[in-house]
Amino acid sequence: MTADEIRAYLEPRRHEFADPRSLVMPALKYAQTTRGHLSREDLDAVAEATGFTPSFVESVASFYDRLYTQPVGNRVVSVCITLSCMLRGSDEVWDHLCEKEGIDHHHGGTSADGRITIQEAQCLGYCDKAPCIQVDADETLGPFTPDSAAALVDELRAAPDPEEYWR
Amino acid sequence: MPIMNNVYRQRAAEKPLVTLDDYRAAGGYTALPKALADVEPDDLQYVFMRSGLRGRGGAGFPMGKKASFLPKDSKKAKYVVCNADESEPGTFKDRDIMAFNPFQLLEGITLAGYAIGAERGYIYIRGEYEHQARVLDDAVRQARAAGLLGEGILKSTLNFDITVYRGAGAYICGEETALLESLEGKRGQPRLKPPFPAVAGLYQSPTLINNVETLAALPPIVENGADWYAALGPEKSPGSKVFSISGHVMRPGNYEIVLGETTLRELIFVHAGGLRPGRRVKAVWVGGSSVPVLGEGHLDTPLDYESIQAAGSALGSGGCIVMDDSGCIVRASLRLATFYRHESCGKCSPCREGTTWLEKLLMRMIAGEARMEDLEMMETLFGRISGKTLCPLAEGAVAPIKSALNMFRDDFVRVVENGSPRPEPMMAGA
Repeated sequence: MTADEIRAYLEPRRHEFADPRSLVMPALKYAQTTRGHLSREDLDAVAEATGFTPSFVESVASFYDRLYTQPVGNRVVSVCITLSCMLRGSDEVWDHLCEKEGIDHHHGGTSADGRITIQEAQCLGYCDKAPCIQVDADETLGPFTPDSAAALVDELRAAPDPEEYWR
Repeated sequence: MPIMNNVYRQRAAEKPLVTLDDYRAAGGYTALPKALADVEPDDLQYVFMRSGLRGRGGAGFPMGKKASFLPKDSKKAKYVVCNADESEPGTFKDRDIMAFNPFQLLEGITLAGYAIGAERGYIYIRGEYEHQARVLDDAVRQARAAGLLGEGILKSTLNFDITVYRGAGAYICGEETALLESLEGKRGQPRLKPPFPAVAGLYQSPTLINNVETLAALPPIVENGADWYAALGPEKSPGSKVFSISGHVMRPGNYEIVLGETTLRELIFVHAGGLRPGRRVKAVWVGGSSVPVLGEGHLDTPLDYESIQAAGSALGSGGCIVMDDSGCIVRASLRLATFYRHESCGKCSPCREGTTWLEKLLMRMIAGEARMEDLEMMETLFGRISGKTLCPLAEGAVAPIKSALNMFRDDFVRVVENGSPRPEPMMAGA
């Protein structure tokens, strides 16, 4: 994404903050919407649009789980594994999805075709729907069984990619 | 649909009140005009104080008192910040208040802004709640169009507007000073206190920070009077509270109850439909995961701040996680250790390293590779983490695990000797 596009996105929001530094996070989230992650060029564009140094911008990007500084799959599937979900079978869902997609059980990762990233999530706040799964930043869904989670991934693989990647 | 009775009552119970007309039809936006017409800002703060409303985010600090800490003579801009970073394991109450009753929150924030003399409020919402953030964005647009936000609200002299600010996945940003850092566009790492946010908060300006549930309670308090609210429940814990209940229960969900009137047993067995047949309660984390664990012997404790504290735990966020006797307490403790290790911001070594050690020790135990000395090592570790960090995250990691070791020592000993295979979970439809 270019610095001009980011500037255009930030302009109507600028007056809401006494310090322009507050625009860095909205800028990063927006810059991520084209590729689904933040490339070196995206980080530099955010730096240029906000007026802060690339190293500062990267220090912010690297802190937050939902800002990706490495490429990820077309769809990011976050499987909540925190206590309430564990008690309702999230480990079984996790294992099944990793096996199905040929992904390392310990760290998660991206399928060989680059379509699907499976990652562990800490409590997503949908414990009443445990075990729950969030795709990108769509509304979290649940409860899942290993089979229904696999069906969700199949649907995602078959569906067209979103126009913007909000993660 | 959440079960909301008292304060977040019928307004949200029947259908989501996501249009201004529906919220008004349910009695909304009566408190704000009343306050603007009849109540001076200082008197409004006094209403908050007399209601006895305590912060619903976890710490339970009296809301009116917090508002009174803001300097009255400051020339700086003042801010209201709504903490909607709800990330405490087992807690999902703010999610439903925002999704089903967003205007009550906006009205509450506006009342708080009027009371402290602020012109802008921020809702800092966790990035994972994008759906709720969009509901709020839309509600803000509707409120602006109707003259309920912006300049000269309801033709008064009050100028006040609200910005919805999205986080990006960091539990630590629920800690108020980390939240402020994040809202200022930085890494979300806690600040050294003092100064407290009331004096030097957002942009070093006086700032009132409250949880979603706390701020959403203000409109009914203003509407019905402080005495009405103070008369609900026990003297020191007045009002109602939304409990999120999850884990091994038949009907997980949000239930609003009057504090002090319901026991933990009733929450689990009446509201949440109890356990699977033949199962017994093994462990309950009653106020989110950062509190000492309770056991079957504590079920008759009334749910209010004082009673839960007397039982050895804390009401916290009201995120109640229930585990029955099919679960393993060591595995549950490990899962929490992993959570805190992952969410530690890394600023304080005792937390960063301590949570990592806790996780490693517990992993060794469930794998059957631990020695009995590891239990003592874990106890030593608690003392090296507790009280040695800037914020309460590390304390939150120690509390559930230390209490589990105290209460279920026999289970830990057995797991050290034999390891712990993964138990059958309670699956969907079971």
